[in-house]
Amino acid sequence: MSEHTPLTRASESESKVFLTAVWAIVWKDLRIEQHTRQTISVMVMFSVVTVIMFNFALEANLDAARNVATGLLWATILLAGTLGLNRSLAIERENQTIDALLMAPIPRNAIYLGKVISVTLFTLALEVVLILLFIVFFDKPLWRPVVLLVLVLGTIGYVAAGVIVTSMTIQTRSREVLLPVLLLPLSLPLVLPSATAVALYMFPQQPVWGEVQSAVSIIIIYDLLMLTAGFLTYHFVVES
Amino acid sequence: MITSPRFDKTLRIFNWVAAASIFIALLVAFFYAPVERTMGNVQRIFYFHVGSAWVGAIAFFVALAAGVLYLRKSDRKWDTLALASVEIGLVFLTMATVAGSVWGKPAWNTWWLWSPRLTLITVAWLTYAAYFMLRGAIEDEERRGRFAAVYVIVAFVTIIMAYVSVRILRDIHPVVVGGAMESAQGASEGLQEFSGLDSAKMGISLTVSTTAFSFLYIAWLLNRIRLQRIADAVKDLKIQVTTRLQGDHA
Amino acid sequence: MIQIQGLVKQYGLNLVLRGVDLQVAEGEFVTLVGSNGAGKSTLMRIVATLLQPTSGQVQIGGWQLPKHAAKVRRHIGLVSHQSLLYGDLTAAENLDFFARLYRLDNSSERVMAALKKVGLFARQRDPVSTFSRGMVQRLTIARATLHEPDVLLLDEPYTGLDQDASQLLDDLLRQEHSHGRTILMITHDLTHGLNLCDRTAILNRGKIVHQVNSRDVTASEFLALYTGYTRNQKDKAATP
Repeated sequence: MSEHTPLTRASESESKVFLTAVWAIVWKDLRIEQHTRQTISVMVMFSVVTVIMFNFALEANLDAARNVATGLLWATILLAGTLGLNRSLAIERENQTIDALLMAPIPRNAIYLGKVISVTLFTLALEVVLILLFIVFFDKPLWRPVVLLVLVLGTIGYVAAGVIVTSMTIQTRSREVLLPVLLLPLSLPLVLPSATAVALYMFPQQPVWGEVQSAVSIIIIYDLLMLTAGFLTYHFVVES
Repeated sequence: MITSPRFDKTLRIFNWVAAASIFIALLVAFFYAPVERTMGNVQRIFYFHVGSAWVGAIAFFVALAAGVLYLRKSDRKWDTLALASVEIGLVFLTMATVAGSVWGKPAWNTWWLWSPRLTLITVAWLTYAAYFMLRGAIEDEERRGRFAAVYVIVAFVTIIMAYVSVRILRDIHPVVVGGAMESAQGASEGLQEFSGLDSAKMGISLTVSTTAFSFLYIAWLLNRIRLQRIADAVKDLKIQVTTRLQGDHA
Repeated sequence: MIQIQGLVKQYGLNLVLRGVDLQVAEGEFVTLVGSNGAGKSTLMRIVATLLQPTSGQVQIGGWQLPKHAAKVRRHIGLVSHQSLLYGDLTAAENLDFFARLYRLDNSSERVMAALKKVGLFARQRDPVSTFSRGMVQRLTIARATLHEPDVLLLDEPYTGLDQDASQLLDDLLRQEHSHGRTILMITHDLTHGLNLCDRTAILNRGKIVHQVNSRDVTASEFLALYTGYTRNQKDKAATP
C-alpha cells in the first residue's frame, strides 16, 4: 500500500495515539464553542432563568431559599447539563460527522473521553457563573475549596454517565425527551452525597474533613465506576 | 423459530416447585419461626422482605450478566433474559419495599424514611423502570438489544452504589446479609431496633424463605422468557406473511 | 484492492444484502448503480468499516473486515452525501482536525495544499456553514483525501449539485483517479459519473445482477439494461 503502511505507524505508542485523539476532539469542541458560544450561553441562560424563578417562588421567605440553595444548585446543574450533553452530541449528528470520527484510525474510547472532557469543561464554566449567582442571591460561601472539589468531581461523574446515555438517546425517536428520564435517576447516587457534602459547608463555621470524607469517597467511587462502564461500552453505542 | 404455546415439562415442574416452596415458606414464617423479642409477630414479615430484596438483587445481577453476554454474542436469547430479569427484579424490589414499609411502621413509626438506603433503592427502582422507556423508544431490534444491554450494565452502577453508600454512610436500616465487616457494623449501628437472628430457628426460616423466593424467581423468569419467545415468534411470522403477500402480488 | 465475497447483511428478517460479490482492482474506478432500497448504502457502510456484515467476506488491501478494521481505516476515505464536516468550524479548521485525527506529518502544509487542490484556499477562514453545496462537496473531497487513502469511497456524491458543481466534481474525481486511487462509487443517478469510471455494476435487491466495462456499452444501452432490472423491483415494491 502507499506511504502510510501499518508497520511504520505501529511504532507510535498506543497511549500517544490515544491522547492525541482525545486532545484533537477536545480542541475541536472548544473551537466550535469559541465560534458559536451556543452551548455555554444556552446553559447559562437556562440556569439564570431557573434560579430567578426559584428566587421568585421563595421570595416571601429568604431563609427558606437559603436552605434549599444547595439542592437548587445541583438541580440546576443537572438540568442545564442535559442541554449541554444534547447539544454536544447533536453536533456529531448534524452532518453525520460521527461517521468521520468512527472511520478515523483512533480508538473509540478516545471519542468517549474527548466528549466527557469537553462537556465537563462546558459544565464547569456554567458552574463558575452559577457559583457567583448563588453567592449574590443566597449569600452562601460556595467558594470554599472543598465545595469546588465536590463540584468538579460530581460534574465528572455526571458527564461520564451523561455521554454514554446521550449517545444512545440521540439515536432514538424521542431524543431530548428521553435523556432526563434515563440520566437523572442514574446520576442520583452521585448527586445525593454531593449535595450533602456541599450543604455541610454552607454554615459560617467549616466542618471537619472527616464529615465530608465519606461523601467524597462515594463520589470518587461513582466517577470511577461510570468512567469504566463508559470505556467498556461506548463502542457498542456508536457502532452498528 | 416456532415455539409451542403449551407449557413444556420443565416449566410445569418449576411452576409447581415455586408454588409449593412459597407455601412452605409461609408455613415456616408463621408457625416455625419464633416470636421475635422486641418486635413481636410483626417481625415475621422480615422473612418475605429479605427474600424478595435478595431476589431483586440477584435479578439485576442476572440482567447485567445477560447484557454482557448479549454484547459479546448478539444472540436474541440474552436480550430476552435481560428483559425478563429486569422486569421481575422490579416486581421483587417493589414487593421488598412494600414489605419493608409495613415493617417500618411499627419499627420506625413511619411508613417511609429518606434514609440513604431507602433513597438509593428508590433510585435503583427508577433507573430500572427507565430501562423500559429506552426499549420503547427504539424500533430496530438489533439496536434495541444493544442499547438495552449497555443501559443494563450502566444501571448496575446504581445497585453497586446502593451497597457501597450504605456501608460508608450511617444508616438506620439494619444490615442482615453480608460479610463479617458488615455484620459487625450492623451490630454496632443498625440492629438496635432489631435484635437480629438470635436463634437458629430464625436462620433456618430465613434460608427457607430465601430459597422459596429464588424458586419463584426462576419460575417467573422461565414463564416470562416463554411469553417473550411466543411474542417474538408471532412478530416474525407477521413479517414473513407480509413479505410473502407482497411477493405474490408481483 | 477491494474484494467482496458472498456478503450478506440482515436486519431482523429483512435481507438487505443477499450475497454480493464484487472485486475492485488497484487503481480501478467502479460505479455501483441501484435504485433506492437496493442495499447500496448498506454495502458502502460495510466497506467503510462503519457496519458489520452478517456473513461473507470483505477484504481491503488484503485486510479482512471487520476484524482488521482498525488497520484498514487509515487507507480509506469516504465522501458521502452527508458532508461529515463541522458547519461551525472554518474550512481550514475542519481539515486541521482531521489531520490531527490521522496524525499526519507537516499537517499545515498538507491542509493548505488540499485547500488549493479543491479551489477553496481563499475561503479557508470562512465557516463551512456559509458554503454552497458545491463548495461543501469539494471540501468533503479534500477531507476524504487528506490522508492520501488508497481507496476512495463515494456515496451519492452528486446529490444536490448543480451543473457547474457537478462539472468540478467530475474534474476532481478524474484527478484522483489519475493519481492511481482505487475508487468505488455508488449512485442511483445514471446521468453523472458513469463516463468517468472503468466498470459499472448494477445492484438490485441486495445482489449484483450485472457488470459491464464502461467502454463496451453506450449510455442509452446501459439505461435500457438498468431499467430492465429495476422495473421488476418497482412492481414488487408497489404493494405496501
